[in-house]
Amino acid sequence: MASQNPVKQKEVVEIEKELSFGPIHPALLEPYRIRLFVNDEYVEDCELTVNVAYRGIEKLFEGLPIERALVIAEKVCGICSNVHAFNAVRVIEGGLNIEVPTRASYIRVLVHEIQRMTSHLLFFGHAFEVLGHETFAMRSFLLRETFMDLMAYIGGNRVMASVPIIGGIRPRADLTEPLKKTILSRLDEFEDKYTDYVNRIMADPMVMSRLTGVGLLSKDEAIKWYATGPTGRASGWDFDLRRDMKEYKPFDFKVIVLNEGDNKARVVARALEIFESIKIMRQVVKNLPEGPVVNRQWIAGKMDYTIAYIETYRGELMHSYGLDEHGLIRNYKIRTPTITNLAAMEQACIGDHVTDAMVTIASCDPCLTCCTRAEVVEKGRSRVMTDQEVVRNYGWRH
Amino acid sequence: MSLKARSRRNAIHAMLFYSGGCNGCDIEVANALLSPRYDLEQYKVLFTWNPREADVLIVSGIIAWQLLEPLKKIYSMIPNPKAVVAIGSCPINGNVYKNLVGDIGVNEDIFAPLDNIIPVDVKVPGCPPRPEDILEGVVKGVPKLVEAP
Amino acid sequence: MDTISFTLLLIASSVIAIVIATLYSLVLPGIERKVQARIQQRIGPPILTPGFWSVIKFTYKEKVEPIAQMPRLYKCSVYLGVVVVAFLLLFSTPYWWAVLSWGSILGIVGLLKIEEVIYVFMGSQSQSILSTSMPMPDLAKGSKHIGTRREFVEQHSAERAIKMMAIGSLPIYLALIVPFVVGKSILISDVVSFQNPAFFSAPWYGLPLPSHPILFTVPGFLATIPFFLGYTILLNEKPFSILKAKIDVIEGGVLEYASTLRAAYYVMRNLLLFALSSIFVTLFIGIPFDPFTPFVFLLNMLLSIILPVCLAVLVAFSPILTFRQIYPVAIGLSAIGVLAMILAVSI
Ligand code: SF4
Repeated sequence: MASQNPVKQKEVVEIEKELSFGPIHPALLEPYRIRLFVNDEYVEDCELTVNVAYRGIEKLFEGLPIERALVIAEKVCGICSNVHAFNAVRVIEGGLNIEVPTRASYIRVLVHEIQRMTSHLLFFGHAFEVLGHETFAMRSFLLRETFMDLMAYIGGNRVMASVPIIGGIRPRADLTEPLKKTILSRLDEFEDKYTDYVNRIMADPMVMSRLTGVGLLSKDEAIKWYATGPTGRASGWDFDLRRDMKEYKPFDFKVIVLNEGDNKARVVARALEIFESIKIMRQVVKNLPEGPVVNRQWIAGKMDYTIAYIETYRGELMHSYGLDEHGLIRNYKIRTPTITNLAAMEQACIGDHVTDAMVTIASCDPCLTCCTRAEVVEKGRSRVMTDQEVVRNYGWRH
Repeated sequence: MSLKARSRRNAIHAMLFYSGGCNGCDIEVANALLSPRYDLEQYKVLFTWNPREADVLIVSGIIAWQLLEPLKKIYSMIPNPKAVVAIGSCPINGNVYKNLVGDIGVNEDIFAPLDNIIPVDVKVPGCPPRPEDILEGVVKGVPKLVEAP
Repeated sequence: MDTISFTLLLIASSVIAIVIATLYSLVLPGIERKVQARIQQRIGPPILTPGFWSVIKFTYKEKVEPIAQMPRLYKCSVYLGVVVVAFLLLFSTPYWWAVLSWGSILGIVGLLKIEEVIYVFMGSQSQSILSTSMPMPDLAKGSKHIGTRREFVEQHSAERAIKMMAIGSLPIYLALIVPFVVGKSILISDVVSFQNPAFFSAPWYGLPLPSHPILFTVPGFLATIPFFLGYTILLNEKPFSILKAKIDVIEGGVLEYASTLRAAYYVMRNLLLFALSSIFVTLFIGIPFDPFTPFVFLLNMLLSIILPVCLAVLVAFSPILTFRQIYPVAIGLSAIGVLAMILAVSI
């Protein structure tokens, strides 16, 4: 693949000018800054400044009791709130060997997949908004409402459903029989409409001509720049953590891997993943075992630094922390998928038109509120600074 | 009603400033605007990304320090009369990021109550508020615009 | 008819035409939005909101100085744009056809060119906060390519405007020539009387209908395609909105217009929407925008809705095209225009 793409070889190029966009810009869903280095219309290089929404979120966890920390964990990101809550409890469940009832585990998977749908449909909305196709974007937002509703029925809030708690799920989020019926019927309804929608997109020549062959990211590059999730899978990198997660063992689904590595592949990969998610959700609802939904037999005590990985909508997410003897959190670390996708994004948009580059960045589905670190290497020693310190020391440009 | 008041009531341009929350509110605002189910435009609210065109500034999110200057700048670029709508708990009181701190005590990176930075006219609490509430909040900013000289 | 009364009538007809056209054109964006909204399965804004009320509201806003390299020139260019578009509109009113070269195709093409150049002016002047001058600490020690010339997005938009001038406006010019070739004259009056022989002899209350409109001949119909897409290009609407592409250059050169200036910009854009549409009806169907024959006048206004509505449908169904696609499309459209012209010659 790499040889097909000679533009992206490393070479020194003269750069005519720089265009910068953001942090407030129609193409961005959240504050970050894009600097594109442009010759005529062609992007020669790209830099994303991502730590704009710095909230010092890892520091906030330090010294909080674990239950209270879950509230913050959920607010790491508003698109994938459930993932962070889910993974935060998986850490302590792994570290202290807390048993999770099967029913709870099933419902966690259900909510996880529901939010995968909202996230992927938001991606369509965003990608088509960036392509300039408002009708498809709005249609996608309309389809997304199905899952926002389901989320609200299960958890009580459209975005922050707070379903997972340590040892199971919140009893409020337990599935009742009528709710199960609703979910199945809404899924059927959605699948019909969604199939039409996807077919309509695939048949649109103008949209396809914008997407095909743009923003190429070969498999080698994807691995070299650590692309994860659908971004990596659209470049032929066959890796999905869901295959190894014990929560997903009972379910049968395919992992979508495409080889093209262009924007179209990234859109199609997500489009097909939605069908797999529907499959998983149906299985969850149909095979849901009876039993308790939460196990309260645990005490937070000393816990070693434990790591949990999960396959989120954008790739692989890591949460890790330890507990001290009072059960307070120490050393919380989060590594979100977008951090690893960033380099791939910067790479993929080289060699395209400016307008296409924006689509490429959007097609990698950035979600940047969660990526903020600054590390300074001073005289051989490295230490982490907050951004504010960086500016106090080095000043900023006006 | 005078022509001035009628025109201001009938065409409202709103602009979104995401100032670094968790994104939930931004997406809900985008939902209120883009989703045909809510459709801000039917309430005569048109969306824009240009401060020169805007009447209502929607702010969502805690104010991260990097966005402090841009926020003030963009606020000052909007020609009078203008209204500010704070969406979500974040700009109102800093939400968990300001109030649920662990050992660090005070989170210096957050400049949260928006009132300290620019005058706020409407507050829509919630984490995140429902799109219906967002619509209501934006429309509540209108009387201020209408009454302005 | 002596010169003085001619001049008075000329002025009277122009004033009536411009006032009514401006008011009417402010309804069009509402119709456009409504059509789009219905396609997108939503209710959409009230018809008067995007055009009429917005313009009035902007005139009541506080006047602010735009941030531009030369603020005066920047402010002038939008008014110049309004004047140019107003003159363009007058091409479809019969009194102007008698005034020297105003009545010929050369005038239309010339004014359209000025209209395009104005976008270059605006783009190179405006310096909105939304791009480079945003106070952001993005230049740090390790940043890439420090010291590169940083450009405002509007300037980039101006460069695109130049490219669009070079290639994008060809289709509409070729399409505009076709009726003149069919009518075998460069004067609009000949083209109209070719299609609508009764027009010049009809009384003021009459409604002379065209006997053989060019639109329904093969070359005329072929020319409609490049005309319509050329119209889209001139208005910078999707799919050809590359110089105002919302996702990178936001709005292009018009970013800094506030209050009254923005109202003027709205008027300019909407009047252009109407003027070109009205010229189409005049040249291709043979129904001019004549304030002194009210029924013809109304009919022209009515038919002028067709192009904006088609435009709205096109906008709702298309993404933004980049130059990769625009070049071939423009060349293809020009080819269709040339074909139409050849067919027109052989008629
Ligand atoms: S109020 Fe809640 S949902 Fe909104 S930005 Fe803040 S944390 Fe996110």
